[in-house]
Amino acid sequence: MITDFPSAPLPLPDERDVDAELAEFGGPAVIPAAQRRTVFPVITKEDVFTMLLAQRSDPDKVVADFAGEYREYIGARHALPTASGTSSLHLALVGAGVRPGDEVIVPAFTFIATAQAVVAAKAVPVFVDIDPRTYCMSPEAAAAAVTERTRAIMPVHVHGLPADVAALRRVCERHGLALVEDASHAHSARIGDQVCGSLGDAAGQSLMADKNFPLGGEGGIAFFASDEAYARATEFLERTGIDYRMSWVAAAFGASQLRRLPYYDAVRARNAEVLAAALGETGLFSAPYLPEGHVHAYNMYRIGLHPAEAGLGDLPVWAVKEAVHELLTAEGVPAREWQNTPIPCHLPFRHRDGFGNGYPFTLNPAAVRDHEPADFPNVVAMLESTVVLCRELRSPVEYERVRRYADAFRKVAARPDAIRKLVAEREYRRPYEKAARLG
Amino acid sequence: MERFDTALVLTRVLTSGVVMSIEKNDKELPALERLLTKRSGRSRAVLVNSRTAAIHAALCGQGIGHGDTAVLPDLDPAAASFVDWLGVRAAGGPAPAFDLLSVTPDDAGAFAEAAGRSTAPALAVDLTGLGFGPAAAMLTDDERVWARAERLKIFGAFDLRTMWTQEESEPGLVPGVQFNYRLSPLVAACVRMALTQAATRTPAVTGGTQR
Repeated sequence: MITDFPSAPLPLPDERDVDAELAEFGGPAVIPAAQRRTVFPVITKEDVFTMLLAQRSDPDKVVADFAGEYREYIGARHALPTASGTSSLHLALVGAGVRPGDEVIVPAFTFIATAQAVVAAKAVPVFVDIDPRTYCMSPEAAAAAVTERTRAIMPVHVHGLPADVAALRRVCERHGLALVEDASHAHSARIGDQVCGSLGDAAGQSLMADKNFPLGGEGGIAFFASDEAYARATEFLERTGIDYRMSWVAAAFGASQLRRLPYYDAVRARNAEVLAAALGETGLFSAPYLPEGHVHAYNMYRIGLHPAEAGLGDLPVWAVKEAVHELLTAEGVPAREWQNTPIPCHLPFRHRDGFGNGYPFTLNPAAVRDHEPADFPNVVAMLESTVVLCRELRSPVEYERVRRYADAFRKVAARPDAIRKLVAEREYRRPYEKAARLG
Repeated sequence: MERFDTALVLTRVLTSGVVMSIEKNDKELPALERLLTKRSGRSRAVLVNSRTAAIHAALCGQGIGHGDTAVLPDLDPAAASFVDWLGVRAAGGPAPAFDLLSVTPDDAGAFAEAAGRSTAPALAVDLTGLGFGPAAAMLTDDERVWARAERLKIFGAFDLRTMWTQEESEPGLVPGVQFNYRLSPLVAACVRMALTQAATRTPAVTGGTQR
């Protein structure tokens, strides 16, 4: 039997471990190699039983019941379950009234599906910079990008932190635009009492098995705030024949996972808090920024680097980042890059073939730009000065593991000499000088 | 497929913990690819999450996109609407750009024979009828057709290689619009068992009179 059950428990950390030699230089790793695997998604007997029950039900009812239950959890008026997050974003845009040749403003830092969904809607993505603290779309940059052909603004709740929806809503109201959320990182994230997915005129959300709220493989869901938006999306499906349906297998898994989502959210929040407290004491590292009244979902945990605080201010921050990444990985904490290049600099948006022969970019040539990373200074600064914990913290990891993460950051922060040595010895490159990666 | 067998497959995959399509150690999707290529006689398979995705993969794999024309096989109204939405116009001619085959529990045992009759450069296979939700594949012998179709999928084979190696594995093969057409391992595992059983099952002998 192949199982993901851990082979051995992770011992509680010993505070003396922080003073040991770095693993990169032969010391003991904070998290031993055999115990680095983080289990995600957590699959329980309830998931198995729900799945087995589902195969005795009408498949359409399994999907509809799941979608209805999750829609209520979100607080949206309508929902359409889909086969993926990308298809949900596509339907959200169509529902919001986006038409071929329209411009949709998106952040230059996101997963590529945000922008590809705009192309799928046969519109043109217009990329703007992010806020330097939240890493979400800058409302000022969005406002500056509005033209007569702009139809919608599509912020992304990056890593699970809700974007500045109030400011973006004001921009939309000023220009008569739709607000479409990309809530793919933001399951259970909230502003006040309002859950992401219910903040805009429409929203799309990935539910793939690597998200905070996982389905059994691939899936997504589109939310609509009005009957009209929902009707536009369903009419589109009927008219085009495109099959975006969710599998009952994926939905059944989600039905049981949904009941445990608040539990896992609470564990993630606890872990984020434990780690933030530790990072704040290091000087070299800082925890993600959290605006007042926002609830972060911590789908990813982006950690800031402050070389000057560790006496490394003379080194390029991107080189310090690479050295820190190397040292942390050796300790068993793969704090990594998630994205290394602004999305408009990825191949599909440099070449812009679209559906073929340049469509739909040919519908609106004035909206098309040849971008360089430097066009998005806040994105570049973030990519150069942060590392990210992904599944390592998205998984509701045990308390002893998150304490060991904290120790690994303490251990590395205490060794600026090691960072300096690696920077001198290695030939690190800036993030965007490497091949563009999707994750 | 019997419910017990479906339950067994689902439980096996859930117990493995690998339910995501972009896991390095997923074995279900490659196993279905191997089965489909073996049965069909085609050398390459692109797994996708719907019938329309398979049609898209077949066209895109051959570089047929918006504004192009193609000889199309007989399509039902929904599939024809989808091709129209892609911006591909139908042309007349004897040799279609792709063939379309739908598999159901009743004819799954004859899949190999049906696939063998296809002569088009790409074969779109709709596996939805097997009962595990939308599922499909595009089969071909042409490496370039396979590569372009994989590029159509966000986090298809090439994106994954780039992520894991940090080097673009095929910069000359530039994707255009990309969709998340990835198939779920749980669905793939069920489809594989259904196809396997259909091919191996012999008619039951009832009544006990022929022992």
